[in-house]
Amino acid sequence: MDILIIGLNHKSAEIGERETVSKKLLTIELRRDFTNKLFDMKDENGRPFIKEVVVLTTCNRSEFIMNLSSWTQGKGGHIIKSYIAKYFFGDAAEENIFYMHLNEDAVRHLFSVASSLDSMIIGEPQILGQLKEAYNEACKFKTSGRFLNKLFHKAFNCAKTVRTETRIATSPVSVSYAAVELSKKVFNSLDEKKVLLLGAGEMGKLTVKHFIKYGVRNIYIANRTKENALRFVEESFNPTEKEYLNVIDFSEYYKLLPQSDIVLCSTGSEDYVLKYADIIPVIKIRKQRPLFLIDISMPRNIDPEINKIPNVYLFDIDDIGKMIEDNMEIRKQEADAAKELVETAVKEFMNWKESLNVVPVIISLRNKVKDILEIELSKYIGDKKEKDLIINSLTNKILHEPTMLIKKASANPEDISSIETIKALFNLDSEDFTDTDKGKENENVNKYIKLIK
Amino acid sequence: MLKELYLIPVALYIFSYIPLLFKDKKMYKVFVSLIYAGFAFQTLIFFIFLSIKGLTVPVHIDRFVFFNAWILMFIVVLFGLFYKVEYVLLYITPLVALNLLIGFFVPHVHITPVMLNVNKTILLTHIVLILIGDSLFALAFIVSLIYIFQERKIKNKKNLKLFDKKGIQLKEALHSGGGYNLELLDNINYQCLKIGFPFITLGIVMGIYLSGSLSRTFMAVKPIEIMSLITWLIYAILLHERVAKGLRGKRAAIFSVAGFLLILFSLSFSFYLFPAFHGLK
Repeated sequence: MDILIIGLNHKSAEIGERETVSKKLLTIELRRDFTNKLFDMKDENGRPFIKEVVVLTTCNRSEFIMNLSSWTQGKGGHIIKSYIAKYFFGDAAEENIFYMHLNEDAVRHLFSVASSLDSMIIGEPQILGQLKEAYNEACKFKTSGRFLNKLFHKAFNCAKTVRTETRIATSPVSVSYAAVELSKKVFNSLDEKKVLLLGAGEMGKLTVKHFIKYGVRNIYIANRTKENALRFVEESFNPTEKEYLNVIDFSEYYKLLPQSDIVLCSTGSEDYVLKYADIIPVIKIRKQRPLFLIDISMPRNIDPEINKIPNVYLFDIDDIGKMIEDNMEIRKQEADAAKELVETAVKEFMNWKESLNVVPVIISLRNKVKDILEIELSKYIGDKKEKDLIINSLTNKILHEPTMLIKKASANPEDISSIETIKALFNLDSEDFTDTDKGKENENVNKYIKLIK
Repeated sequence: MLKELYLIPVALYIFSYIPLLFKDKKMYKVFVSLIYAGFAFQTLIFFIFLSIKGLTVPVHIDRFVFFNAWILMFIVVLFGLFYKVEYVLLYITPLVALNLLIGFFVPHVHITPVMLNVNKTILLTHIVLILIGDSLFALAFIVSLIYIFQERKIKNKKNLKLFDKKGIQLKEALHSGGGYNLELLDNINYQCLKIGFPFITLGIVMGIYLSGSLSRTFMAVKPIEIMSLITWLIYAILLHERVAKGLRGKRAAIFSVAGFLLILFSLSFSFYLFPAFHGLK
């Protein structure tokens, strides 16, 4: 029962390489097809390498979290890795861009990913949702079993602990959120404010959504092609949000400037859309009421000189970026505390996992004792029901201490010799511990879980 | 001597700053509570004075200074609660504590032998109106200073931290309530001006009347009257520009600062440098 994670992310692979992989995992069908191929991988004896698999794919990473069969030894991981590289790139030589984590490292990696410690933007909340989606998909198609279920639930718990016990996700690090926070430094309340969005891009969409969330109810959208703006509103916003949006002709935006308190500029223009001379009369008409301008376009669409006009506050993508960097620094500091929490969770999980390794020993020991009692008690007790009751009761009583010892030894590598001693004492055959089929192993795990309860 | 009582609010005001050293949001609440407790004591002392002397003109310097501190704190507490800008207390409280300490240390002497010859009701009204007006302008002054610094930060985009909601840093704690947003600061400044101006206008009119009744001539040109009129004119221009031309923001804040500095100058001028100009001798 080994956990293996093979994957690539923003640190190990270029964007083009990540795209190649994510394209081949874009739909559920593609992912199903790929997992089936993984399950079809077999060793020289025709036994499958992999028992369970979850496929995680996001814009920054693609990962395959696997539970290997007990007979899949060290080189199995490399075989799988080469196969994956060949599957996506047609060449096993590309395997260097994939990383591979085994057991404790794999658990640590998964918990770090879930806690957003391995993300491009540390603390970003999306990854946890994406991980849950990947897990749900695996559950739906039954590619995830008892072992990965436990692993993923532990990962979700770990992520929750990290988010609640550290400040890793508190300081805004997205441009859209930062824009709203900055506007709150100028305006007392956003409820009555009018927002004008120039352009219909992704960043504009996110920022407008944030403004709506924070109470803005008058938003005007102007795009060079009005049809695109209408489509943008239709596709990007839900019905409630749409109630607050008004699409206007691009030619009308200047008339609306004096009434606008916040202007978001996100056009694809190569020249300034708002010039210094445009704003001077606007601020006079506004009777010096503050005007907050956010230029999130590249190249810039608002003349930076405008910031010199009294009561006009201009922030461009670089200004916001610098502030985000400060918050990133806070998150990095918090990441150290978060890593400790992850480490604790990893230890707990590994203890549980190690305890599973002794299941065959416990089962075998119980069977041995039961067999002896069966033979001896058959001489004196004829009633089978009564005999079974006594056998079970005696087995539990006799083996209580040894079972506890085995469990304790499994959690502590230094005590592993105790298990060997028990095996030698009771002459337990090592072959008894090798699972021959998946069903039997699961049955044993179930038995063990009942036992330790 | 009742003067010793001044030390209780002073102590509370000084101790209120200690919890802030812990940089904890809960401690920020302790800070605010201690300041309110200090103000409650000030109010208690004020009512003790009222019960002993009744509603009369404060004829001793220490009482006068105490009365000034109480009105200032009363106005700041009112504004703080109304606009949810308790952080203003952080800047005003030291001024109030300083006033109380001055009240404690100055000798308990009569200050207005000449003034006592005039109509006492008008004199009391003059004092109350001027103190309320000046306190409102003092608040406008502090708020304007905050505005100028905050506006500078936003314009220069330096040391401008994005607000961290779950943080426990002192800076963040001080942002609770309305926060240092420019619109609110400018609005408080405007409200102080709008309310304070009629008070100061009536106060000055009464002062001129009192001055006239003392010297038996209307508008005898004294330096204090000139200073008062210049101050009044500055605030009148500021109010006019605000209402008619929409002057606001940094320029309005600079006007408020300049106006209050002139008030401070004219008060020092009249009370300390040339007491005779205010009919004190």
